Amino acid sequence: MDNQRPPMEGEPRRRPTGYLFPAWTNKIATAALTGILVMGGVVTFVVWYYFSPKHTDVGYQPVQPVPYSHKLHAGDLGIDCRYCHTNVEKSAHATVPPTQTCMNCHVTIKKDSAALLPVRESFAKNIPVEWVKVHKIPDFAYFDHSRHVVRGVGCVECHGRVDQMEVVRQVQPLSMSWCLDCHRDPAPHLRPKEESVTQMDWKAPSDAASFGQDLVQKYNIHPPTDCSGCHR
Amino acid sequence: MSPVNKSEHGLSRRNYWRSLEQLENSPEFQRWAQAEFPEGLSEVISPVTRRSFLSLMGASMALAGLSGCIRRPEEHILPYSKAPEDIIPGIPNFYATAYPHSGFGVGVVVESHEGRPTKIEGNPQHPFSLGATDVFTQASVLNLYDPDRLTSYVSGGQAITRSAFVDQLRSKVSELKTRQGAGLRFLSGLSTSPTLEALSAQLSQSLPQAVWHTYEPVSLENAVAGGHLAFGQAVIPTYQLDKADVILALDCDFMGTEPGSVLYGRQWSRRRGNDGASTPTNRLYAVEGIFSITGAMADHRLRLPSSHVDGFIRALGAQLSSQGLSLPSELQMALEPHRTHPFDARWVSALSAELLAARGKSVIMVGSAQPASVHALAHALNASLENVGQSVQYSPAPIGVASVANPDTGLTGLVAALRQNQVETLVILGGNPGYDAPADLELATLIKNVPTSIRLGSHQDETALACKLVVPQSHYLEMWSDVRALDGTASIVQPLIEPLYDSMSELELLSHFVDGASNRGYELVRAQWQTALGTLDFEKRWRRMLHEGVIADVAAPPVQVVLNGASIGAGLAQKEMPQLSLQNLELRFVTDARVFDGRFANNGWLQELPDPMTKLTWDNAALISPRTARELAVKRGDMVSLKYRDRTLEMPVWPMPGMADYVVAVSLGYGRTHSGRIGTGTGFNAYLLRDSSAPYFDAGLVSTRTGGTHLLATSQEHGSMENRPLVLEATVDEYQKNPRFAQEAVEHPPLRSVFTEHEYVGQQWGMTINLNVCTGCSTCVVACQAENNIPVVGKERVLRGREMHWIRIDRYFAGDEETAEAVQQPMMCQQCQNAPCEPVCPVAATVHSRDGGLNDMVYNRCIGTRYCSNNCPFKVRRFNFFNYHEDFTEIEKMQQNPDVTVRMRGVMEKCTYCLQRINSARRQMKLSGAARIPDGTITPACAQACPVDAIVFGDVNDPESRVSRLKARDMNYALLAELNVKPRTSYLARLRNPNPELG
Repeated sequence: MDNQRPPMEGEPRRRPTGYLFPAWTNKIATAALTGILVMGGVVTFVVWYYFSPKHTDVGYQPVQPVPYSHKLHAGDLGIDCRYCHTNVEKSAHATVPPTQTCMNCHVTIKKDSAALLPVRESFAKNIPVEWVKVHKIPDFAYFDHSRHVVRGVGCVECHGRVDQMEVVRQVQPLSMSWCLDCHRDPAPHLRPKEESVTQMDWKAPSDAASFGQDLVQKYNIHPPTDCSGCHR
Repeated sequence: MSPVNKSEHGLSRRNYWRSLEQLENSPEFQRWAQAEFPEGLSEVISPVTRRSFLSLMGASMALAGLSGCIRRPEEHILPYSKAPEDIIPGIPNFYATAYPHSGFGVGVVVESHEGRPTKIEGNPQHPFSLGATDVFTQASVLNLYDPDRLTSYVSGGQAITRSAFVDQLRSKVSELKTRQGAGLRFLSGLSTSPTLEALSAQLSQSLPQAVWHTYEPVSLENAVAGGHLAFGQAVIPTYQLDKADVILALDCDFMGTEPGSVLYGRQWSRRRGNDGASTPTNRLYAVEGIFSITGAMADHRLRLPSSHVDGFIRALGAQLSSQGLSLPSELQMALEPHRTHPFDARWVSALSAELLAARGKSVIMVGSAQPASVHALAHALNASLENVGQSVQYSPAPIGVASVANPDTGLTGLVAALRQNQVETLVILGGNPGYDAPADLELATLIKNVPTSIRLGSHQDETALACKLVVPQSHYLEMWSDVRALDGTASIVQPLIEPLYDSMSELELLSHFVDGASNRGYELVRAQWQTALGTLDFEKRWRRMLHEGVIADVAAPPVQVVLNGASIGAGLAQKEMPQLSLQNLELRFVTDARVFDGRFANNGWLQELPDPMTKLTWDNAALISPRTARELAVKRGDMVSLKYRDRTLEMPVWPMPGMADYVVAVSLGYGRTHSGRIGTGTGFNAYLLRDSSAPYFDAGLVSTRTGGTHLLATSQEHGSMENRPLVLEATVDEYQKNPRFAQEAVEHPPLRSVFTEHEYVGQQWGMTINLNVCTGCSTCVVACQAENNIPVVGKERVLRGREMHWIRIDRYFAGDEETAEAVQQPMMCQQCQNAPCEPVCPVAATVHSRDGGLNDMVYNRCIGTRYCSNNCPFKVRRFNFFNYHEDFTEIEKMQQNPDVTVRMRGVMEKCTYCLQRINSARRQMKLSGAARIPDGTITPACAQACPVDAIVFGDVNDPESRVSRLKARDMNYALLAELNVKPRTSYLARLRNPNPELG
């Protein structure tokens, strides 16, 4: 209080009383706030992008117990999907075929192939082949293949070009929002009943959206968007 | 602006109450009822405090978080190696078979998912059940997956293989053959199987000295003996109640536990407004000491101890004869002294006048507990009233039933032989006589002394423990057999699944005793029917009877009977009615509405099912009238010591309104010592008091208070409705004066919603429940539990109000505690259009659907705030406090319905109108390309199971649908209409049809 004059030459500069922190500390608050915002943004982005089914599930391609090639069977040989997935038009499950279906051909074709050993074993011992599930939806969601296939939604819409896959992988996120995208606007994903749903390279003759719109009218398609449509 | 009860019309003015405590309405009760869950109880029962609970929860949540780290567990698809025919994964198959319940068959259709039977439905093509079922039929599927079932053969306490057992058995049989079967005795439960009858006939040729005994704890032996007395023939009566204008039920719970109840309930309901008429066209009189569900549905009910029913029917007979009914002269003479009687004279004469006026269209039914003389007199009165051939018919009693009634082939004959050490080999087929035989016979001890005892049974139970060799018994869904219904209709029992364990059926075990018989059930049954029907076109007929579940045209025609008045008169020798008092109480044994005679003791669904009248779960109690309770100075839950002859049993009491005074009713089937993890130790074993000389009721009981208490779990006060007019009833007279009484019951200002209301177009689902026929039997509750994977929570949690049943049946009493009448009201999610639960959910886990207009519950969104339950005016939402399915064994999991989500801890759930069935019908519609789902395609599990057809479901936007036509009736009303919640479920008010003479 008594010291009102400015400091003299050579006199040490005196710290003003009442300031405990050095001046650079003034920047901490701004830096921290910016940091938190940036970090928050990064975390949000990481979770939003990397935790989403689009990132975690798409591309899932597990190793199967039998090196079965969809490309060979469905693509090159042109066997219809429904030769093996027999119940796809009747049941909720498309059903992975029983070993018997494999053996229909493989009793004569490649009957000594080493790759087919698990299949022959399964058939002889009457034990199932333990295929690894690729397309998974949660237990509380009840997806029904038959409802979709019979109404003109092609296999390719959800499963992609399986006829070109050596080993099957997931190509769509199969998340709820992805399902709802189509349920809210089914037109671009429909094809006429006369056309085969299993044809992988089917293209709408005109613009898919407007072509599908006619089918929506014609087939009276109202996909449910209620929770109870899929959850029960 | 509170709603005003309009109360100028008779019955709608009534004050309803659910329990004696509510009738008293003490401040404690009010406090208890206002809580959402009876919270105070949790501290009483368990030492876990809120704090320790929270710390436990914290720890388990941390662990749950860790397990969440594995993001994509590898799952496998296991297709068949060689696919069986007819199975499409994801689409259930249905097979017709028959459920043998204490000997008699109920036609059923069983739902099977990839080879797992999961749900029992009624078979509409079966003439003696017409698609109806009861709680036992519904719950029987759970017994198949009982994890406590016997899994291997046991010899002297050691597990042995099937072939080792068969070797032992073969050498035993060849030894028996050398002495023509001397010393060999069979003891079985009642069976009506034609194949079993044929096998036992062959047995008497190869082993002529062997004797077959039949014992059933509760059966028709008195009715058969009564038939003998009246007609000199072994017959059992069957009734056609839809042809009866006047029904008198004497100590006969024909809608509940009596044989044939499944059919009788449905026939009766057809005349209560189910056939299109708006008002009841029959009148039911009930005379009983306990308060049964039949008594609750009666238009007039007389409280009488069972031991006074004999006197009552004599008085009625005398009255009928004095009013001009011509009876055989010997009978008339025998009834002469009963013209003066101690009963309500106005009641008796009004009843007798009605019966006379309805000649040929009335029925007098007598319960199985009543002695033969009462049955015989009822047969005589029915015959004289010209009812025989109309509403009453007689069918031949199956051999099994007749042999229960015969002392030589009944249990007493066996006990006499056992006491004289005449039995060298005893084969016990099914049943559980070691537990349920009358106590004075000491059967379990006697069985232990038999040198070779072979027991076929499903559990290591009381009987198995007394036997040397134990054989696991197949469940009826795992075996081939056949069975007859009460009227003789035969059905094939076909398996839905290979035996889960290496078990045998009765037929298969028995076949080892018969020369040249196949040891495979299928071949035995098929051979039997091939012999019976001839080989012509047999394959076609065989396939047809497996498909239909009924064997056409083989029921015996009704027996023609001729009344023997002298014999009936002689049966009516002068007998004093016992004077009941506090020192001389009547002990009445009743069949339990849940565990029956004890065979369902290890069935969790039935243990947790509230009794239709007492609403007790997980226990039985000594039921007494409130007045008797006051005189004995006991209240609910007080332990008493019941002393009868030289035996005593300690049991808690339960004062029950409407019961006859000085009657103590105890239900059979509890207090099992070896039933399994569910049934062992629940309740109190009434068989310990039972005497073979008086198996159903007797005077001479003394009750003293012990000072102890027992905590009884009852659901009767759960979900209290604060005295709002929820059940509505009127007499037919009142209804005719004001047909709109139900809709006008509550006066309210015009209803307007603050929101713009949604438009519901297309097919919109709704339901009606007809209170006029609902007996409260609770079959819907069990059916719902089976269909919707509803867990069993245990007694402790029922005490805390945490039972999970989606359907609660509210039983209301009206009137005073002595002459109480009862009304039953099933209560489940009402699917309100303006649902109060929806706006309070913070995460939109319960929302309305556009397609069906239903209140959807989205389990995967629910975070468990329970706000919805708080805001639900009907208190029908259930919260998963724990992960109740966590400890399921692999076997138990097989029962679960794959079409319904198994709910986790922390999730709210409630009735969905069986959404899975709606979706399956919608799928069918889409696959077939139809524009709409036809009426009657969707039947929710409750409606399918209902024996009286009280629940109707359908499209409320279609004026022609059955449900719309019912909703258009003027006695249709919605609950809490004044709240403008607009429930999709509505009720048809109850109409009573009292006799104006007794008004």
